[in-house]
Amino acid sequence: MEKGGIRLDPVTIDTTKIKTTKRKPETALEKLDDTGLISTVLAAKDREGFILLTTIDQIINWGRLSSLWPVTSGLACCAIEMMAVSMAHHDIARFGMEVFRASPRQADLMFVAGTVTKRMAPRVKQLYEMMAEPKWVISVGSCANTGGPYHESYCVLKGVDNIIPVDVYIPGCPPRPEAWLYGIIQLRQKIKNEGYGVKWGLNK
Amino acid sequence: MNPAEELKYSLPNSVISVGVQTNKPLAVIKKEDMLKVAAKVKEMGFDNLSVITGVDCGDRFEVIYNFFSYKKKLNLALKAVLDHASPEIDSVTSIWKVADWLERETYDLVGIKFNGHPDLKRILLPEGWMGHPLRKDYDMSTEQFVTIGEDGEDIVSTDGSNLLRRK
Repeated sequence: MEKGGIRLDPVTIDTTKIKTTKRKPETALEKLDDTGLISTVLAAKDREGFILLTTIDQIINWGRLSSLWPVTSGLACCAIEMMAVSMAHHDIARFGMEVFRASPRQADLMFVAGTVTKRMAPRVKQLYEMMAEPKWVISVGSCANTGGPYHESYCVLKGVDNIIPVDVYIPGCPPRPEAWLYGIIQLRQKIKNEGYGVKWGLNK
Repeated sequence: MNPAEELKYSLPNSVISVGVQTNKPLAVIKKEDMLKVAAKVKEMGFDNLSVITGVDCGDRFEVIYNFFSYKKKLNLALKAVLDHASPEIDSVTSIWKVADWLERETYDLVGIKFNGHPDLKRILLPEGWMGHPLRKDYDMSTEQFVTIGEDGEDIVSTDGSNLLRRK
C-alpha cells in the first residue's frame, strides 16, 4: 500500500498472544470500579459537567410514559370524546400524546373507544397485534368495558378484554374528557411502576 | 278523505281495513296484491319510501311500509300480514329503488323473503350467520363469533377460540 511515499505493511495481530483473562473483582470497591462508574463520574467532574444518576428502568419508563402515541381508531361515539380530549381545551399534548398515528406500527397505545361489535372484533384484535411492543390498551366507555347497554345483544362483544388485554378501564357513557385525563394519568402511573426497579425499591 | 281511505276507495278488493298508526293513516292490504297497491300508491304521489319494518308477532309476521309524499306533504303506512311458516311478499324494488336495501335489511334481521328482489342477501350481518336475530324464536344461547379469513372475508363460527383470549 503506497501512501505519501511511505510504504505501509498490513498490520497483522497475533491473537494468541493477547491475554483475555482478567482478575475477577472480589471486594465491593473493586466491583464498583469494574463497572466503570467511578471513572465516568471522575471524568465528568474534571470537565465540570453535570452528572445524572438513575436506573435504566426509571429512565426507560420516563421515556415511554412521556411519549405515548395513540393509534387513530374510534369505534363509536366515544371517539367523539377522544377528539375533544385531543383538542386545545383539554389538550393531551401536555402528556406528549397528541400524535395520533395513522399506522398501528408507530403507536404505543390504543384507545378502544366505543362499541366492539362481533364483526369489528377481529379487526380490533388485528390492530392490536399489528402494534409494536411495548403497547398498552385503554378501554373507554361502558360498551368497551362490559358491553354496556348492548350486553344482552346478539352482535356485541361483552367487553373488549375478551379479545385483548386491557390496562385501564374508563367508565362512562361516554366518559367526560376529565375522566379520560384521569385514566391517562392512571396509565402513566402504571408505566412508571413497571420493571424491576420498583420490585427492588429503587424507583421510590 | 285521508290517503288510506282514498286507497280503500280506489282498490276495495285489495285493502282489508283502514286505520291509524301513530298519527299516520294506515291501510292493511292483502299480501298477494302488494305490487298492484304499490303502483297505485306511487300514482297517488307518494314518491318516498321512508322505511320498511318487519315485525314478528309470534303467530304471524307483519311488514309495514312507511311512505311520504314530498308534493302533498302526506304520510301513509301500508301493512301486510304474512304466514309465520313461510313469510313471503312481492318486492317493490321495481317501483321504489330504495326498497333494495330496506328489503335486504328486513330479510337480514327478520327473515322475510321478498320475491323478485334483484340481490336478496344479508346487508348488516356477515354471510353464514345462523338465524334472523329479530325473530322471537332466535337462539340467544349459542353465541356466534366472526373471524377474518385468508382473503379478508368474514367467517362465522360458534367456538371463537382463535378470537377470544380465554375460553
